Amino acid sequence: MSGSKAEAVFERPIPVLGRSALLALLIAVVLMVAWESWVRSEGVKPSYRNSDSQWVEQRRRINQGAGDGWVFTGSSRVLFNMQLSVWERLDQRRPVQLALEGTSPVTVLEGLADDEDFTGKVIVGVAPGLFFSGYELRRGAIDRYQNESPTQWFGNRVSMLAEPYLAFYANDFALPAILRRQSLPAREGVVFDLEVRKLSDMERDRNNRMWDRLVYDEAYRELARNIWAQNWMPLADLPPPVQEKLLESRMKQLDRAITATGKLQAKGAEVIFVQMPYEGHYAVSEIDIAPRDLTWDVLLEQTGALGLHFQDHEEMQGYWLPEWSHMTADEADRFTEAFYVLVQRELAARKAAGENP
Amino acid sequence: MLFNSLTFVIFFIIILMLHNAPFSWRVKKSNLLVGSYIFYAAWNPPFVILLWLSTVVDWVVANKLYLETRQTRRRMLLFISILVNLGMLSYFKYGGFILENFQVMMATMGVDYQAPDWNIVLPVGISFYTFQTMAYSLDVYLKRAAPAKSFLDFALFVTFFPQLVAGPIVRPTQLIPQFKLPKVATRQQLTWGFALITLGLFNKIVIADGLLSNAAEKVFGASEMLHPVDAWLGTLAFSGQIFCDFAGYSTTAIGVALCLGFSLPDNFRFPYAAVGFSDFWRRWHISLSSWLRDYLYIPLGGNRKGNLRTYANLMTTMMLGGLWHGASWTFVVWGGLHGAFLAAERWLAVRFGGGRFWKRWGPRLLLALITYFLVNITWVFFRAQDFATAWRMIDTMLTLNMDGKKVLPTIDVLQVTGVTVAMLALHWFMRNRYLHDVAAALPRWLLAGAWGVMLWLIIITQGQSSAFIYFQF
Repeated sequence: MSGSKAEAVFERPIPVLGRSALLALLIAVVLMVAWESWVRSEGVKPSYRNSDSQWVEQRRRINQGAGDGWVFTGSSRVLFNMQLSVWERLDQRRPVQLALEGTSPVTVLEGLADDEDFTGKVIVGVAPGLFFSGYELRRGAIDRYQNESPTQWFGNRVSMLAEPYLAFYANDFALPAILRRQSLPAREGVVFDLEVRKLSDMERDRNNRMWDRLVYDEAYRELARNIWAQNWMPLADLPPPVQEKLLESRMKQLDRAITATGKLQAKGAEVIFVQMPYEGHYAVSEIDIAPRDLTWDVLLEQTGALGLHFQDHEEMQGYWLPEWSHMTADEADRFTEAFYVLVQRELAARKAAGENP
Repeated sequence: MLFNSLTFVIFFIIILMLHNAPFSWRVKKSNLLVGSYIFYAAWNPPFVILLWLSTVVDWVVANKLYLETRQTRRRMLLFISILVNLGMLSYFKYGGFILENFQVMMATMGVDYQAPDWNIVLPVGISFYTFQTMAYSLDVYLKRAAPAKSFLDFALFVTFFPQLVAGPIVRPTQLIPQFKLPKVATRQQLTWGFALITLGLFNKIVIADGLLSNAAEKVFGASEMLHPVDAWLGTLAFSGQIFCDFAGYSTTAIGVALCLGFSLPDNFRFPYAAVGFSDFWRRWHISLSSWLRDYLYIPLGGNRKGNLRTYANLMTTMMLGGLWHGASWTFVVWGGLHGAFLAAERWLAVRFGGGRFWKRWGPRLLLALITYFLVNITWVFFRAQDFATAWRMIDTMLTLNMDGKKVLPTIDVLQVTGVTVAMLALHWFMRNRYLHDVAAALPRWLLAGAWGVMLWLIIITQGQSSAFIYFQF
C-alpha cells in the first residue's frame, strides 16, 4: 500500500461498438419470442405471479372498505377451492382472498384480530399439516404488509401491467427452476426434493384456478402427486427431537389460534374454520401429523367457532382432486356454490340456537 | 431501489429523458439530485434525513476547514465531521454489536448487565456514503483538495444515485469536477454504458442469484458437519456469488453513470487471477482498499516506520476494513486473515521474491491458485453466521473428513463447478487486459451475440429482485 495524493478524474476509455447494440437487441427479441412460444406450447397461458405484493394489495383492501365483508384465509386448499366470482354471485360482494400456499394462516388470523378495520367474517382453512405445525412458506408476504417499501409497491404495479400478457413470466419457467428439474443422476446420499410445479393460474385479485394441464395430462398429474408424497415419513419414524418440536408447535399454534379467534369474536367478527377435502397421500399424512381429536376438535371446543369438516358434510364431498389436495377449476366452482349454501345454513342454525359466542 | 427491479427501469428511463431534455445544466443537476433522493427514499423515506445530515455537516466543516489556519481549530472541525459520520454509522450499524460485547465483558467481570434490545433498521448503503463524505473533509483537512464551490455539486457528489448505496466509493476529486461542465453521454458512451449495465445485471441475476446462491445458502445454512466436497463447493459458490453480486453492482453503476455522461472508476479487475494478496487488493473492491490505504494505513504510518510497525498497520487496517463490512467478529477475523496474508507475503517477498523464477508463467499460475485457495478460506469467515459454522466448515475443508453429510444435489455440483472453472479461466485470460479493449477487438457478430444472449438470460432468469449482498454493509 502506498500513495496519498488526491485521486484525479477517471477518463473511461470507450470502445467503438457500432451497431452491436441494435443487433444484440434484435437477437434478444428473437430469443424471447422463441422462448415465449415454447412456454405457450407447454400449455401455459399468461396469468398473475402470486407475488408477495399482490397479497399485500389484497390485504390492504381490508383497510380500504372491505373490512366488514368476507375474507378467506388458509393455505392452498382455500386458494384453489374457493372461487371469488361464484361467491360474489351468491353474496353480492367479492371476498378478499388471503390464503397463502404452504403457509399456516394463524399469523394472518392474528393480524386480522389486531386490525381495527376488520369486523367481517373470516373463513379459515385448516390444512392440518400446515396449520398445526406453523410452517409458513410465504411468511415474506405477511411481513411485507408491514414493511413494503415504495419501490416494492411500485415495482409490483409495473409488473402487473406485464404479467397478463407474458406466459414465460411464471416462476415455474424461470431458468433456475428449469435447470433444477432436469433429470440428472442422483448424488449418493443426497436428499433432493423436487420443487412444486405450476399448478394454477392466478387472476388479478388472487382468485386462483387449477391449471388445466392437471386435468388432461395424466403424467403431469402423477408428477404432482409424487412431489406431494416425496420423502414423507410418519411422525413416529421421525427423530425424537423432531417429534417433540412438532408436538410443541401443535400446542403453540392451537394457543395462538384460540387467542386470535377470541379477539375476533370479542369485536363481533365471525370466524369459521374449515377443513377442505383431501385424499390419497394426504388421507394418511394429515391425520398422522395432526389427529383430529387432538387438534381440530380442540380448536372448535376452545373457540366455540363454527367448524366445517369435509368428513362431516355431504356438501363438501364428491369432488375431483387430481393431485389429492386441490380441486379442478370446474369442481371448485361447484364446491364454492355448495359451500356457500352450507355456511349460510350453519350460521343461521347457530343464530337460531343462540350459539354465537 | 434495486438496479435489478422494474422500478429502476422506469426510474432510469425518466432520468435519461430529463437528462437529455433541453434544460440548463443547473436544472439537469437538480434533476439528478432530486432523482437520487427518490432513488434512496424508495427503500425507506425517513433515512434521506441521514443523507442530508451528512451532506450539510461535511459542507460546513470543509468550508470552515479550508479557511481555518489554526491547527487546533482544524482538528476540532475534522473531529466534528468524523464524529457525525462515524457516529451515525456506529449508532445504526454497530450499536447492537457494542452492547452485546459490553454485556459479555460485564459478565466476565461478574456484573449481570442486560443490554436493551437494539432492533434498529440499518439504512441502506450507510457505510458507503459516510466514507465518501468523510473523504471530502479529510481531503480538505490534508490539503489534498479545495472544497467544492457549489453546494449543488457537493450534494450531488454525496447522493449521486448510481454509486450511492454500494459504491464505487468515489473521491470528491474524481466526481465533483465532472459536475462543473454540462455532460450528456455521446452515442458511444451510451452504447458502452448499456453494455456494462447488461454485463453487471447478468453477473448479478444469472450467475450470482440464479446459479450460485442456492448452493451457498444450503451449505452455510447446514447445522451439521458436511462432506468436504459440499463444504468446498459451498465456499466456491459463495466466492463466485459475492464477486458476481458486488462486481455486478459496480459494473451496473459504472454503466448507469456512463449513460448520463459521467465516468466512475473501476472497482474490480478480475481479482481471482490475483497473484498474491497485495495484487488481490489492487483488484478487489479497489475503491475501499484505496480509501483504507489513503485515510487509515498511511496516516497510521504506512510502511515508513519500520517492519514491525508496517505489519501492525496492515493488521489494524485490514481488521477495521473487516469490521466495516459488518458488525460481527467473523468479519474482523476475515479482515485479520487478509492482514496476516498481506504481512506474510511482504515478509516472504523480501526474502524469496527476487529472481526470474517467480516471473515465469508456471510459478505465477501456482501462486494465483494458492492465493485463490487462501481467499476462499477467508470467505468462510465472511459468509458464516457464527464461528461454530466457520470452524466446522474449515475443519472439513482442510481435514477432508469424508464422514460429513452431503447436501448438494447433482445440479448444484454441476453449476458451481462449471461457473468456477469458467470464472477462473476468464479472470486469468483478462488478468492483463481491459474489458473495453477486448470488446473493441471482438468481431461484431460475436459481441452482439454474447450481448443478446446475456439480455435474454437476464429476462428468463426472472429473479425475485433480491438485494445486492453489499447493500447490508
